[in-house]
Amino acid sequence: MAMTATEKQRYARHLSLAEIGAAGQSRLKNSKVVVIGAGGLGSPSALYLAAAGVGKLALVDYDVVDLSNLQRQVLFTNADVAQSKVAAAAKRLAALNPDIEVVAHDLQLTADNILDTLREYDVVIDGTDRVSTRYLINDACVILGKPLVSAAIHRFEGQALTYLPERGPCYRCLFPNAKDGQVPNCADAGVLGVLPGVMGSIQATEAIKLILGIGELLTGRLLTYDALTTRFDEFTVARRTDCAVCGEHPTILTPQDAVPKSKTTAAQRALISHSTPRQLQLRLESAAESTTPILLVDVREPHEFERGHLAGCVNVPIGELAARMDELVASLSGSSRGRSSRPDVVFVCRSGGRSLQACEMAVGARLTAVPINLDGGLLAWARDVDPEFVVAPV
Amino acid sequence: MACTVRVASPLRSYTAGAASVDAVGHDIAAVLADLDTNYRGIRFRMIDEHDRIRPHIRLYVNHDAVTSLQQAVHPGDTLHLICALSGG
Repeated sequence: MAMTATEKQRYARHLSLAEIGAAGQSRLKNSKVVVIGAGGLGSPSALYLAAAGVGKLALVDYDVVDLSNLQRQVLFTNADVAQSKVAAAAKRLAALNPDIEVVAHDLQLTADNILDTLREYDVVIDGTDRVSTRYLINDACVILGKPLVSAAIHRFEGQALTYLPERGPCYRCLFPNAKDGQVPNCADAGVLGVLPGVMGSIQATEAIKLILGIGELLTGRLLTYDALTTRFDEFTVARRTDCAVCGEHPTILTPQDAVPKSKTTAAQRALISHSTPRQLQLRLESAAESTTPILLVDVREPHEFERGHLAGCVNVPIGELAARMDELVASLSGSSRGRSSRPDVVFVCRSGGRSLQACEMAVGARLTAVPINLDGGLLAWARDVDPEFVVAPV
Repeated sequence: MACTVRVASPLRSYTAGAASVDAVGHDIAAVLADLDTNYRGIRFRMIDEHDRIRPHIRLYVNHDAVTSLQQAVHPGDTLHLICALSGG
């Protein structure tokens, strides 16, 4: 279909490029791209893809805009705080380019819904903030045969890699089996606000080149960017013949949730107790006299545990908890011997997120104990109880 | 034999924030041992109890992936410590 006069004016700088021209602009108009995660990376990539004239642009997220997002998530303004991210983003993108179709998927991707959500799109952009979600997306793209442009950020550092089905390594070829607890995210470690601007723009560039069939993609090349030293490096990534999803004998044939979805109901979640650091301190000080035994379980990764932990804690990383629940049951049986009450099991981690997940798993597993979450985690413990306590970075 | 080690952002808490440090050793194992002498605990973040590179870590000498800790390191080489990131 011929371009309208308005489109010719809007895309004039693209039309001047021999690599794009009218044919390329038409390809962009007929393309469908989905951006997963309307955050720091998703903001610039979605803005540039909308501006470039990608005909159908979808956003997937289930969060709402928080004031702390505005330092880097340039899709949003103050007026969007507390609003649905994808709804606010769709409004902004439609205002930027009313000629494109913008779709808002207000949902959390899971193994159950990811294939249907991604199926219709030509290119997938991953701007999510959990490594388990990255594997879910990667596996779905390999299974569906969809190109995937991944990027990730941490403090001042960014990484990007483009997966092309059958033509290059996937994210699992690069990092076969990382766990959420091993890999830091921005909420824990912080991030330079402009960094996702650079990396998200690279993702948009990759998607546009892919649609147009021009240039060289980051296929088989991991690009790293260090904003502090202003250094770009790239490293060769080979396809792994033993990759669990794209290798010669794949074992992942359908998408899988890394941590089984919590089956806990609201009533079950009400069984979880919460403790402030000071309450826990008092509880530990009176443990010897108490008729209720207490078990402390630190669900951080071993390298975090090694650098400092509460006395008497056992270390069961969150990724191993489901498989080691029997071990906890045995510990609880031992500690309740001779005591009259059901034991308390206190789950702790760095900031309280992983431990809350552990509490839900304990309720779901019908652990014969009252699961207690240390709210705010060991960071709160160091702040409120023991300033000398060393909380290792993730 | 001295080489330069480029440190991934998540590991810089061990190097007092330094992005680049020096280390010595004739192979990767020796370089990592030297690194750990100066920055206690950093090796265990990358290498497990069975001397395997952890699945969220990649090591590169210059631009070539390291697949064995016995891989030789030459004077002037740069060892890159790459860590999976998840922030978005």
